[in-house]
Amino acid sequence: MSRLAGWARKWWPGLIPLGFLWIGAIWTGTVPLETDLAARSTGALKDTVLDKTRISVSGRDVSLSAEAFSEEGRRSATSQVEAVTGVRLVNDETSLILEAKPFVWSVERDVVRVTLSGHAPLPAIKTKLLDAARTSLKGTEISDQMTMARGAPPRFDNAALLLIDQVSRLKDGKITLSDTGVSLTGMAREIGSREAILAALKNLPEGYSVKENAIKAPPYIFQANKDPVANTVTLAGYVPDNAVHAAIVAAVGRKFFSEKLVDNLKASVGAPQGFQNAAVAALGALSRVSTGSLVISDREVKLSGDALYAVAADQIRSGIGGELPQGWAAKADVSVKPVASAVDPTVCQQLFFELLGKAKIRFDSGRASIDKDSMGLLDKLIETALRCPTANIEVAGHTDSDGDNTANMALSEKRAQAVAEYLIKAGLPTDRLRAVGYGSSQPVAANDTDEGKAKNRRIDFVVK
Amino acid sequence: MSMIYLATFNWGWFLASGVLGLAMGWIAVVQRGQGWSAVMLRKVAVLIAALVLVSLFHLIPGRVGYWLDLGLAMLAVYVAGCAVGSWLRALVVSRPASADKA
Repeated sequence: MSRLAGWARKWWPGLIPLGFLWIGAIWTGTVPLETDLAARSTGALKDTVLDKTRISVSGRDVSLSAEAFSEEGRRSATSQVEAVTGVRLVNDETSLILEAKPFVWSVERDVVRVTLSGHAPLPAIKTKLLDAARTSLKGTEISDQMTMARGAPPRFDNAALLLIDQVSRLKDGKITLSDTGVSLTGMAREIGSREAILAALKNLPEGYSVKENAIKAPPYIFQANKDPVANTVTLAGYVPDNAVHAAIVAAVGRKFFSEKLVDNLKASVGAPQGFQNAAVAALGALSRVSTGSLVISDREVKLSGDALYAVAADQIRSGIGGELPQGWAAKADVSVKPVASAVDPTVCQQLFFELLGKAKIRFDSGRASIDKDSMGLLDKLIETALRCPTANIEVAGHTDSDGDNTANMALSEKRAQAVAEYLIKAGLPTDRLRAVGYGSSQPVAANDTDEGKAKNRRIDFVVK
Repeated sequence: MSMIYLATFNWGWFLASGVLGLAMGWIAVVQRGQGWSAVMLRKVAVLIAALVLVSLFHLIPGRVGYWLDLGLAMLAVYVAGCAVGSWLRALVVSRPASADKA
């Protein structure tokens, strides 16, 4: 041992070259060593979820600065780096990201782009939301203004994904998620979109609810045009479903006796309450004008056109409002068609014959009250009657052979009377009209088929 | 653990330190002169022990801390080299001497 100590006293001169070696090792090795440690520390954090990660190495000491999304994530990040071989110390400069209260996230659509803003709980969720927005809104610019924050309610990502899907149904607007409350504003892309959004919102994850829904829908439009030159009735716009569609088409068939139907209707949800009744009533008014158009926009009915004579114009104007369901408004802009040139009685008879050949005046079953669907036809008959002021007209009621003869006679007379009264109300002088009931005495077809009987039940206008 | 990392990263320099130690140890056995006094040797030993403590407790941060670790590690290799060198030389020197005695 003493020998070793004796030698050791003489070892010191080597310290001088050793010092140079030391400096050499420092000179060449420090930066590569730091680079190596930084690379391996970064690698170790690859699977840890952090935001704004910055690693700086001084010697073998690693300074880790990052924003963690939970206390646990923060601890695990530092221990991951501490476990890297060669790391001497970890200076923990990590912090938790801010907690947002309330946790607000929103998606907004304007003309140009869709903007996601507010808070996102994790980078992965942020990416997921952006991807979903790109998929759901192909071709629209997506702008990301989300920042990271803690405090998201559970199942935040599911709720946000569902809301992103709804943005494709908006023309413009904003959907905000504040904690678990959803509020929506804006304009739906098309008719029915608002309802589709409402239906989709029912699938929000448990605990989430709609706080405010101020989505407006474009007006629900139904249009009808009567064109006497082309002899068509054109329907356009929306109907709620096929049943209403069929009902409206049937109503057109009853009310417009000679016009051809051009049907451009599309089915869509979002119709206002009472749509069918309003549409049918408004079509009845349209059937009485010669040229006219009908626009139903939400709960507003606008009718414009030319009535065939002055009384009809008044009746249309005053009648249309009363026939509409509660809450509906009507605006009738009805003028009177100029009186057509007078014709002599034979031409008049010919015109009556043609009109009544196309359609018949209908009554409520077994009674003498005129069916509303025959208004259009009656107006035409009245217009014709007004063109031949010198002719006396016999309004002749007929029935089929079913039932008691006396009763038939009485009914046919009452019905003829009802028509004559209607004509008088329209402005025809009383002395030109005579109502006669013929019962079943003058059939125009055999009474042995339903078809024949239907032909026999009729009102004829005979010029005398 | 960290020594192994230092050794693998700076093995060239460690090797050079060891070789330098061997050479110095080899020379030291037959070198004339007094060298350091026992007191000096003890002072240096205390100084080194203090530096080892500083290193173990990570008292110096950053690069300087690393340099200290590196220096101490190289010194350890050097001293080990010296010890081996001196011992080998002593064997070589004493064998003919004991042969002479025999």
